[in-house]
Amino acid sequence: MSKLPNKRALPSREAGQFKELLNLYESRQLKKGLKTADLILKKFPEHGETLCMKGLVLVHMGRREEGIDLVKKGVRLDLTSHIVWHVFGLIQKGEKNYEEALKSYTQALRFEKENINILRDAASLQTQLRLYDALVETRHTLLRLRPNLRQHWVALSIAHYLNGNTKDAKAVLESYLSTLKNVPPHDVEQSETLLFYITLLEELGEHSEALSVLDSNSRSRAIVDRTAVSETRARLLTKLGTPEAEEAWHTLLERNSDCYDYYAGYLSNKGHTLTEPSPAALQIVSDLAAEFPRAKAPKRLSLNLSTGDEFKSRAEAYIVTALVKGIPSLFSDLKSLYADPAKKDAIEEIVERLREHYKKETAIPSGSEEPTTYLWTLYLLAQHYSSLGQHKKALELLEEALEHTPTLPELHTFKGRVLKRAGDYLGAARCVNDARVLDGQDRFLNTKTGKYLLRAGMVKEASNVLGLFTKKDASSPGADLEDMQSMLYLLEEARAHEKNGHPNLALKKYMAVKKIYDEIEDDQYDFHGYCLRKFTLNAYVRMLKWEDNIRGQASYVTAALAASKIFVAAHDNPNLVKSLSSTSELTDAAKKAKKKAKKAAVKAVEEKKNAPTTATHDDKGIEPQSNKDDDPDGLKLLGAPDVLEQAAKLLAPLTAVAEGKGSVGVWCAVYDVAVRRGKVLQALSALGKAKGLDAESPEVHVRVVDLKLREAKLAEAVKEGVKKLYPGDVGVETFNSQYLQRQEGRAESVLACARVLGLLGAPLEEVDNAVFELLAGERAVGVKDAVKALEFLRSIKSGREEEFRAACDARFELSTAFKSKEEQAVIREQVMTRGPNGGKDEAVTP
Amino acid sequence: MILGCSLYHQDDLAGMQSANLQNLPENYTMKFWMLHALSWPQVSFVAEDPKGRIVGYVLAKIEDPDDENEPIRGHVNSISVLRSYRRLGLANKLMLLSQEAMRSVYKAQHVSLHVRKSNKAALGLYRDSLGFEVVKVEQKYYADGEDAYSMQLNLKD
Repeated sequence: MSKLPNKRALPSREAGQFKELLNLYESRQLKKGLKTADLILKKFPEHGETLCMKGLVLVHMGRREEGIDLVKKGVRLDLTSHIVWHVFGLIQKGEKNYEEALKSYTQALRFEKENINILRDAASLQTQLRLYDALVETRHTLLRLRPNLRQHWVALSIAHYLNGNTKDAKAVLESYLSTLKNVPPHDVEQSETLLFYITLLEELGEHSEALSVLDSNSRSRAIVDRTAVSETRARLLTKLGTPEAEEAWHTLLERNSDCYDYYAGYLSNKGHTLTEPSPAALQIVSDLAAEFPRAKAPKRLSLNLSTGDEFKSRAEAYIVTALVKGIPSLFSDLKSLYADPAKKDAIEEIVERLREHYKKETAIPSGSEEPTTYLWTLYLLAQHYSSLGQHKKALELLEEALEHTPTLPELHTFKGRVLKRAGDYLGAARCVNDARVLDGQDRFLNTKTGKYLLRAGMVKEASNVLGLFTKKDASSPGADLEDMQSMLYLLEEARAHEKNGHPNLALKKYMAVKKIYDEIEDDQYDFHGYCLRKFTLNAYVRMLKWEDNIRGQASYVTAALAASKIFVAAHDNPNLVKSLSSTSELTDAAKKAKKKAKKAAVKAVEEKKNAPTTATHDDKGIEPQSNKDDDPDGLKLLGAPDVLEQAAKLLAPLTAVAEGKGSVGVWCAVYDVAVRRGKVLQALSALGKAKGLDAESPEVHVRVVDLKLREAKLAEAVKEGVKKLYPGDVGVETFNSQYLQRQEGRAESVLACARVLGLLGAPLEEVDNAVFELLAGERAVGVKDAVKALEFLRSIKSGREEEFRAACDARFELSTAFKSKEEQAVIREQVMTRGPNGGKDEAVTP
Repeated sequence: MILGCSLYHQDDLAGMQSANLQNLPENYTMKFWMLHALSWPQVSFVAEDPKGRIVGYVLAKIEDPDDENEPIRGHVNSISVLRSYRRLGLANKLMLLSQEAMRSVYKAQHVSLHVRKSNKAALGLYRDSLGFEVVKVEQKYYADGEDAYSMQLNLKD
């Protein structure tokens, strides 16, 4: 029975069926695809490519394990088929295993170098993994294969840019732009491409060029985003230091007179900041206030820039306007002025005076002021005193206001805030809940109430309140909030669990935050292709930069540090898990969720049993279905043997993005984990960084003492580590000679021993002799070894280099590597002349 | 109050998502926000407090036309201002910025949005301040079963 010589090629009927199979997969006709695959496999059960396609179909049908096994089998049976590796890569990509997927795709490309689909997917993977060198190559290939596709040009430019090569990015884009024909007018894609080109020019410092490109394309309306044009123009003109910059900033203010960035640009162009008081700056801002009477920004900015009586009169006018209007955010607006104690006092004086005035005027029916104005004044004053720590006074003012108008939610929420600051978390929660019931339709008040309940440790009640706005079909309010990626909820509930003595439940919430960040990192994947099709280039590169830094965001840092602390505590206290499980009461919400999940699981099993087998039509997609949570209490997580490694993994991204004094906490956490893992150098480095940032930090102080107490143990750890590498008690000279005895047959080892002698500070003579040993004896010595030995002798200035060189020259008759310098010079001169075997033509001389 | 940074500033997305979760029951995962920033970055805007935290936003898009001859339409997906920052006209300003961008960048001729029938404050903003008109009622549009007004505004050229 003869087999097919090439196991991959199919006879024409099965080849047709295979083509059909590919089409059926593309159109997700999974049942038919399965049938077709089986037809081929009946005749050719070992056809790798068909096995892979069948496996892929099965995965889409939800028979994941079965499908993946088949794919792996198919790969094994046909290792040089690009199809099998492509399929394998698709599966791995679906599992978010990008590194492995790229390996598979790279394999696929080995066997079909110019497959556009595979190249495109590889490019996305390379971008995801930030392998920009490789990305440039892939984009080059794609461009070469299809130079008529606009996005291939742009993609290459972007790749160069990401790879740090802005010059080449610019060159590619210039080529592309110059070859464009028949660009439709007012084309948003072209506009965005031009704006990206200008970004490149700006980053290269070619500001004049950037400006001229901007201006000519703006005039021709090729760039349609006028805001971007105006902003870029102002920025470039400022960088160029031309007088037109002022007008450019002014144009921006005309478009949006409430944007502080524009005021900052305008003022800085004239040599002022938004925060340093100066009469000149004040005059500029006053003029702008007159020019833009409806804008709030210049009025507010004038408070920054004025002082003394000038400040007082402006502040009073500003405050009165806001109080009459009833603006709740007035205090947060003014707060930044309190950095200047004189201004803080001035404001206090003004508002106290206004209070007296409004109190009087609103007490009489013929008064000139509205009662609400008085109310907002009390509110402002309460906020003022509470910010200074005078909570009792603030509460008195709020009481008066509440008697006046008990139906204003802001009064209740702020009272809650004051109580929270004063340490009455229960009372605070009660107040905020009072606010909430005044406006049941308002989710903001609902969320605040949930937060305050959690701060008070009242997890169940918080869940009930929050559940008024979460999806009814979710397994619990918390589950919905987690699905919708609410960091606020997860962090607050985690904190509550910690306070209530349930670090395991807290840990689950912190890990949920981590999972969200993992999701956000994955989210960018689809955009690697999408943005190039849409030409939203500036936005795309900004997004990548943002993704690079997301682990530095406050919610991740908080979660990582807190979770790490819990893992460390679990490591330090092996009985922790036991003590928690015995007293562990699942929160009511968690119990409910567990019940619901159990019910759902039972239902799913029954449905599977009862469903007819033909109902596997639906495409479940290629990604794994999310698994039931088998550790709802977090006890498994907490009791795992690798808690320290888990903590280290959480902290790792922080070390890259942590900077400044705020990161002392990060380095302390890194120390805590490293020192327990026996990673001495990492621990020392981390604590050193922390101390360098804030030597007198209390957290640093505790750990420095901790380090001292561990010193003996750490020394032990170092000793143990060294012992593994340098076993036994022999002295170093003996150790070296023992090695020589074992390895003297190898030329490199002989040289190594000589180098060790050098390390040990042996007399030069001894070292020289050791090197010369190389040429003695029967061992095989190659030219390369001898060259290395000669270099070594030169590096230690042995004095016997000449001798060694001559000896090598004699030994290696054919080599010129050991000729003297003079001899080599002569030989070199002849290289470019006609050699003894050379042809009749004149030799090439440079 | 810093007003008027468009979604070019990708860094705002987390703050927008957080504001949306606090204020409204219609929420979206981060990928949805990213989709807007990476498709139509010019038409969404944020308002920030002095510390740079997002206190208000408008999330808008441009609809894909079904055929070439249909006029281009913008759509406001979500808009919200934190309760503590109301009465500053932020919602109005955000809407105006967005509409202007839709008009000038994409040459949109209409803007559409949905609003709860019972939301008097929002109706006041859209109908009275901005000039939107009710086009139809979409029954049970919202997850809790409430009807929505589908409203539209014609953008002058």
